[in-house]
Order: sequence, then C-alpha cells, then structure tokens
Amino acid sequence: MIRKFAGLRIRCFTVMFGLLLFGGFFTQSPIRAQQSTAAATVTIDNFSFAPATLTVSPGTTVAWTNRDDIPHTVVSTDDPKAFKSKVLDTDEKFSFTFTKPGTFSYFCSVHPKMTGTVIVR
Amino acid sequence: MSAGPFDVKTIVLARHAQHVVLIHFPIALFIVGVMFDLLAQWTGRRSLADVAYCNFLVAAISTVPVLITGILAWQYALEGQRLKGILLDHLVLGCVSTVIIWLVWWIHFRSRRDRQVLTLFRIPLELLGVAAVALTGHLGGFLSGVNGAG
Repeated sequence: MIRKFAGLRIRCFTVMFGLLLFGGFFTQSPIRAQQSTAAATVTIDNFSFAPATLTVSPGTTVAWTNRDDIPHTVVSTDDPKAFKSKVLDTDEKFSFTFTKPGTFSYFCSVHPKMTGTVIVR
Repeated sequence: MSAGPFDVKTIVLARHAQHVVLIHFPIALFIVGVMFDLLAQWTGRRSLADVAYCNFLVAAISTVPVLITGILAWQYALEGQRLKGILLDHLVLGCVSTVIIWLVWWIHFRSRRDRQVLTLFRIPLELLGVAAVALTGHLGGFLSGVNGAG
C-alpha cells in the first residue's frame, strides 16, 4: 500500500514537473517574441536627432518621428544605403528594422549637419 | 559634412550648399534695384535709374545658377521625389520670383531700348516681386535652418 502511494507520488511529481516545464516554455515564448520585435524611437526636433546615438539589439525596429516644423529625411551614410526615408513632414514617421549587428550612421539629406548613429549589438 | 554652408569645402563638396550661397545675389540685387528705381522715380535722376537697371540685369542673370542649383539640390538631396509642404511652396514661389525678376528687367530693358518713359504699372509689379522674393527667402531660411533653431 505504501509502495503504491509512493509510486503515485512520483508520478504526480513527474507530471507536475512536466507541466511546470511546459508552462515555462509557453510563458517564455512571448518574451522571446517581444525581444525579436523590440522597438525604439528617435525624435527629430530642433534640427537634431534625439537620441543622437541609439544602441539596440538585432531585430529591433527603430522609428523616427519628425516633431520639427521643417521637413527632414533619414538617410544612412553607407553605400549602398541601408535605409533611406522620404521627406518627412511634421509628425510623419519612418521605420527600419536593424537585423544585422554593426554601427549605422545616418543624416538628414536636407540638413547634412544633422547626424545620428544606431549601434546594433 | 559638419561644416556650414559658407565653408569653402562645403561649397565644393556638399551637393546642395551652393544654392544656399548663390540665392543671396538675386535677393539683394533685386531688392536694391527696386529701391533705386523708386528713388529714381521720386527724384527723376537718370543715374539712379541706371543703377536700378544694372541691379535688375545682374539679378535676372543670377537667377539662372540659383534655379539650376536649386533643382540640383532637389535631385541630389531628395532624389527628385515629389515635393510637398514648405519645399513645394519654396519651389513654386522661387519660380514665381524668377519670372517677376525677369519681367521687371524686360520692362526696363524695353523702355531703354525704345527710349520710352517707364510706365508706372511696373511699381506694383516690383513690389509684388519684392514680396515674392522675401517670402521665398523666408521659406528657404526655414528649410536651411537659418530662420529656425538650426
């Protein structure tokens, strides 16, 4: 009788352990999904990008929003260009997903003095 | 790229900075020309009218490189994409200003060639030209950051 209970207890523990592992897997997966679709924002205002330097992990989508009264662009400095926006009027947005690690410098082609950097690592 | 538009290196290398520099010539020459023409009209002095004519002539000529560099800036910096907002207003007003500057010069040129008295209707046209030039320059100043915080 005691042996029968012991066997049942072991089976219960095994099932519970399995359920915990299983549950853990499912509770982990949304976090992983969140990491892969992480987002960061850069605000364009007062003839500058803020933050001027942004560090993100691979897979992050960076969104630039023009809060300035003046049209601006977001153009990468590398050749061929990794990303390039259209002219962004006030409150318009441009997004780009950085999949590869590296340092990506960009500027506003209307105002080349405006520069920024996205570091992906 | 970090240098300003009045830096020689930027003028040579930056593909759109020339427009920002050259635009000041027709603006200044035309406005000063109108000023001399009004003075000539008021005082009746021929020498002032000559000065006004010379200003209009050089202002009209200087609009050519300004237009070329402006269109090049549009093609190089924005890759010729469809303009809207302030950029479109600046382009349209720039073209209107150019037409008025050439028209004013032509009125003066025709009057001198035919030895006729200048008609008074040129005055409102010149003042309209000054307004158009000022507005175009104002928008250009915003675009370049001169009139803004940049």
